[in-house]
Amino acid sequence: MIKVGSKKFIFRLGKTGFLLELGEVVEVVEHIADALDSSRSDIGRGIVSALQFRQTWIPVVDPALKLDICSEVKLQDKIAVILRGSEGNWALLVDRVDELSAAENFQTCEIPFLLRVAAMSFYSQIKLLYNEPMIVFEPERYYGSTAALV
Amino acid sequence: MSRLGLFKIGEFGFAVSLPQIQKILQNSKSYLLPRLPGAVSAVLVDAGQIIPLLDLSQMVGEKNLAEQTTESYQVLVESEYGTVALPADLTGRIVAEQKGELSTIAPQEISFGTVAKFIYQGEEYNVLDIDFLAIEMTQGFWQNQPDTGGARRHQ
Repeated sequence: MIKVGSKKFIFRLGKTGFLLELGEVVEVVEHIADALDSSRSDIGRGIVSALQFRQTWIPVVDPALKLDICSEVKLQDKIAVILRGSEGNWALLVDRVDELSAAENFQTCEIPFLLRVAAMSFYSQIKLLYNEPMIVFEPERYYGSTAALV
Repeated sequence: MSRLGLFKIGEFGFAVSLPQIQKILQNSKSYLLPRLPGAVSAVLVDAGQIIPLLDLSQMVGEKNLAEQTTESYQVLVESEYGTVALPADLTGRIVAEQKGELSTIAPQEISFGTVAKFIYQGEEYNVLDIDFLAIEMTQGFWQNQPDTGGARRHQ
C-alpha cells in the first residue's frame, strides 16, 4: 500500500524542479488544449485561463509568470496539475511531470543568506534530490485568498 | 608569504587571495533557480550546500562568459556573507605575491569590485574584493536592473 504522505510529486517549469506534497494533488491532466477557455482569465489574480474539469470550470494558474521563468512549452501543450485548495480545485500549469519520489530521498538544504532576499517572495524552502535543488512549491503563494498576502 | 590564485574567464583575469579560496571544482553541474539576482547566473551544490555562481561577465560588459566555456573551473570563495562561486576557464594557478607586481589602483581608476591589479608574466589580473562583490552582486548593484534575471536569461 502506498503511503501518500511519504511521496513527493515532482514537476518542472523550464529547467527548474519543484516538489509538492502528493496529498495536495487531485489529478494530473494532459492534452488540455480542448478544455481551456482563455477568455476566462483574471491576470490580477494570476489566473490565465479556465479549465473544464469534472463538469465544472476551474481556474488555471501559470506559476512561471510569477517566477519569471521563460518556458518553451506552449500553453496548450502544458500539463495541468489539479490541486485541492480552500476555495475548491484549481489547476497549476507545469511543463513536465517527473516520477514520484519518496520523502526520504530528499535532503534538507538551507537557502544561502546571499539569496534569501531574492527568494523570499517566491519560495522559502529548497530540498536536494540526488544533489539537485528542488523548490518546495507552496500553492498558497499562487492561488487562493491568501495568495496576495504571502 | 602571501599567495594569490590567478584565474581567467575569457579575457578577464582575476586574482583571489589564497586563504579565501575554499575549493576549486571542475565542470560542476549548475542549476537555475527562479528569481535569482541579476548577477547570479546559477547555483552549484557542494557538500549539500547551495552556492551562488556569480556572473563575472557583467564586470567586463561581455555576454555570459561562463556559457562560452564548456570546460571550466568553479572557484569557491569564502566571503563574509557566505561562500560564492566564480567561473573560470582551465588556466588557474597559484603564485606567491612577490613573483609578480601588485599595484594599488588610483581611486578614479577603481573598477567595480577590484582593489588592486596584479601583474604576473606580463598579464594583468584584477584582485577582487570578494566581500564587496558577494553582497553587491546578490543584493544591490545589479538587482534592480531590468531583464537581468538569471532564470529568464538561461531558460
